[in-house]
Amino acid sequence: MRPKPLLCACLLALGVAGCGTAGRERDAAAVAERFHAALETRDGQAACTELNPETASKLEQQEKKPCEEAILTLELPKGASVADTRVYETSAFAQLAEGGADFLDLSSSGWWVSAAGCQLSAPGQPYDCELED
Amino acid sequence: MRRFLRENSLWIVFLVLFLAALSGQAIAGHAEFNALADQHGSPHMSLARYVVSSDYGSAVMENWQSEYLQFTLMILLTVWLLQKGSPESKPLDQAGGESDQKQKVGAYAQQNSPRWAKVSGIRRTLYENSLVIVMGTFWLGTWLAQSVTGVVQYNSERLDHHQDPLAWSSYITSANFWQNTLQNWQSEFLAVGSMAILSVYLRQRGSPESKPVGAPHESTGVTG
Repeated sequence: MRPKPLLCACLLALGVAGCGTAGRERDAAAVAERFHAALETRDGQAACTELNPETASKLEQQEKKPCEEAILTLELPKGASVADTRVYETSAFAQLAEGGADFLDLSSSGWWVSAAGCQLSAPGQPYDCELED
Repeated sequence: MRRFLRENSLWIVFLVLFLAALSGQAIAGHAEFNALADQHGSPHMSLARYVVSSDYGSAVMENWQSEYLQFTLMILLTVWLLQKGSPESKPLDQAGGESDQKQKVGAYAQQNSPRWAKVSGIRRTLYENSLVIVMGTFWLGTWLAQSVTGVVQYNSERLDHHQDPLAWSSYITSANFWQNTLQNWQSEFLAVGSMAILSVYLRQRGSPESKPVGAPHESTGVTG
């Protein structure tokens, strides 16, 4: 008997674990940094183009303002850089160098921010996010 | 060709069944994945991408590892453990590794015995245990693959709920990993245990997995 099933299993595991992850992490980090850079320059429209439409819609309903105005009223990190990014299938997590984190989802046109300004309230608990879907 | 098919029909039929089931699982899993993606407003995944996704990989690997564990344990434990009346067990007076003469190794090897059965030392030790070594390696390899694909899938779900991702080392001690592992192990242990007992009293005419129909319930290590 030749060890083909083991080889297949290892290739599958390595493929899932490693294939293209670095590139996807860079892409997700770039979106998060563009989002925070837009907030720093108070460009609400640019910030909203990086948002998940569901998140943007929920923000507009909550604040009763267009997204590009409402986004500037939130206490979100401005000009933040990404210290670490993890990508798992269609979801990504961006840890910000200044503290806090963003969550991103993969759309057919790339990554968009689904939650931002997230802080861990207690270990093991979900993050509390200033902006979320 | 006909003769080859007849003499190898067991593994060929199982290979065809395996490929059909694996493909069916991929098609059904892909459809379910995309249906869930619609519910969450996420993009669809192609079938080619789905078959290398953690969703498909973990579902396949957690089943493979438990099957290889089942056979590894069955091969190893039946060296020493017995079951009176079962064709899965050796005769009650033959527990253990048995003599070189009975195993036809070394000086007792026959002319047509495998080459490594005729020699002594590490090569024979390896060959004497080669079935368990290979099946056990498959088990550990697929279990590792389950953990690697499982942590990706689990972390994807955690991110959906705005929780931070777990490291692999934390995942393999998590309830999720052990629930996925043990739910497969328990079914394998049940199947092997029930086969060992049911084959004492029940028969399947013509099957080597059964005793001959007329064999007494007490006769052990007899196959028909």
